[in-house]
Amino acid sequence: MITIKDLPDENLFTAGHTACPGCGVAMSIRNAIRVLGKDTSVYVPASCAVVFGTTFPYGAWKVPFFHTAFENTGACLTGMQAAFEKKGKKVTAVGFAGDGGTYDIGLQSMSGAAERNDDVIYICLDNEAYMNTGIQRSGGTPFGAWTTTTPVGTKVQGNRRFKKNLGEIVTAHEIPYYATLSIGHPLDFIRKVEKAKNIKGFRFLHMFTPCIPGWKMDPAKTVEVTKRAVESGMWTLYEVENGEKKITYKPGKMKSVRDYLMMQGRFRHMSDEDIKKLQMWVCKKWNLYYKEKGSPEICEIAPPEEHHAVTEEHREMHGP
Amino acid sequence: MFEVRFHGRGGQGAVMAAQALAEAAVIEGNYAVAFPFFGAERRGAPVLAFTRIDAKKIYSKTQVYSPDCVVVLDDSLLDTIDVVAGLKPGGSVVINSRDKPEDIDLGISVKTAAVDATSVALEILKAPITNTAILGAFAKATGIIKLESLEEAIKRRFGEKLGEKVAERNSLAARTAYGKTVIGKSKGIKKLEPKKQWLPTYQELPAGGSLVEGKTDAGLIGPGSFIENKVMGWATFRPVRDREKCTMCLLCWFYCPEGTIVRISDRGDLMTNYDYCKGCGVCANECPVDAIKMVRARV
Repeated sequence: MITIKDLPDENLFTAGHTACPGCGVAMSIRNAIRVLGKDTSVYVPASCAVVFGTTFPYGAWKVPFFHTAFENTGACLTGMQAAFEKKGKKVTAVGFAGDGGTYDIGLQSMSGAAERNDDVIYICLDNEAYMNTGIQRSGGTPFGAWTTTTPVGTKVQGNRRFKKNLGEIVTAHEIPYYATLSIGHPLDFIRKVEKAKNIKGFRFLHMFTPCIPGWKMDPAKTVEVTKRAVESGMWTLYEVENGEKKITYKPGKMKSVRDYLMMQGRFRHMSDEDIKKLQMWVCKKWNLYYKEKGSPEICEIAPPEEHHAVTEEHREMHGP
Repeated sequence: MFEVRFHGRGGQGAVMAAQALAEAAVIEGNYAVAFPFFGAERRGAPVLAFTRIDAKKIYSKTQVYSPDCVVVLDDSLLDTIDVVAGLKPGGSVVINSRDKPEDIDLGISVKTAAVDATSVALEILKAPITNTAILGAFAKATGIIKLESLEEAIKRRFGEKLGEKVAERNSLAARTAYGKTVIGKSKGIKKLEPKKQWLPTYQELPAGGSLVEGKTDAGLIGPGSFIENKVMGWATFRPVRDREKCTMCLLCWFYCPEGTIVRISDRGDLMTNYDYCKGCGVCANECPVDAIKMVRARV
């Protein structure tokens, strides 16, 4: 297993790129490519990563880089891999798509590549909205979040839909490896990228990448916010290897989502009712997908004052 | 017609400043337009915003090429951009700077107003967002707008978007900066060479626009060429590491999104390359032994 100390010194994604200060995507890309190494060819669809990483004729990538349209990350990776195979080159094709390019626009192409089980690595940089075009809602935007297309008004406040469960969609293709990563957990991050590198077939790495302007937060808190997301269950670190799901980091005691929400301007308008609704969703999701058999349901962690007030919704979900 | 050009960085609020100024002009019974110009830049990259003020209706829709006043929200822009380009004779410049106007070199000697808007903003707004503070300086330097109508405009514009409290603090920032503004004349010594651009003919362009690593008169192109793009001007703060406290856990090296912190394996040491530091502060926030402190970047 590689630790931080074993990572190479060389930057394959050089300094001088034009990402915002504290960018979670830049952090994830830099470290992913550090582990993946030189024998990699990168595809990036329309996203922030293509704007701050390559502005013609300049580029930050030191590995071959390719960019076409928004919706075809999966298809492009397949083509690249086929060409490398034909030429007898041992190169891994890696795609860095955003959440818009994976949850919504690139879903069909990704699904095709996953279904064919092409030997590529697909990385989804999930910052929970279309940040490059100016913060529009995507399928990955969580409940309650402000975006320019889900504004905060007097009647409706923020996004009314819950985050799409992409993990279940991807793993339904029975691919060899799917993992969720967070930059706030370096050892887990490195181990998963390293593992994906050594597996054959379609590998999907789902990275949680905070966006400073889109989440309206302090740039210094990029890493802290990912840690809080994991501690509160808003993001769960797990991997699915050949259909076997394993939680790789379980928070000792689940924290209330409120801690996580209040760090970010995009959630600051949320009413107590909405926060409770989101907390219910987090608990329900955990109990349904991530809970080990026999272990207690995690809704018990909700702060006492909230827990005592048994709502209709609570009753529906957990019985009287 | 009075034309103003704002030079700022993404996130400093140049666009809001232009709009607030236009609103103040409207409050005083004038006509005004305001609009920004930016490309695909991120937060921290240079942006432009414009305001036109007139007693008659304004039909001109172009960018402002010959301004009556130039407002610079960040003095680090002076190193790379010729801010006084096209300035009308008798025009003025308003700069966010710690220096006195006499010490600021703009390439020409013009009426210059300087105010340390970053310090004002940090003190009152707790964030380096200098737009409202610099408007206070603008009001004092040009006198075409009254401070009262400016404060009213800030309250309206910011109150609508960010709430009353924020609006109140922003108008206080404008008032404070108004009091602190120093007016003088700038130095006119330096000659700013415009940055060379790589302009290939179509025969020189590789097929499909695919570039290999190359060197041109305008610098590096192709893979890895962003290394020549120095971004230190973006930073308001920068990290300073205490070697004694540092345990070499390498977390800062791992987390740094820029590659500012460089590891020198054979010496077992870290080096901080400030050329690329945007001052996000992640390293200081994450250091487990608090060995990194953030200090003001330009003193």
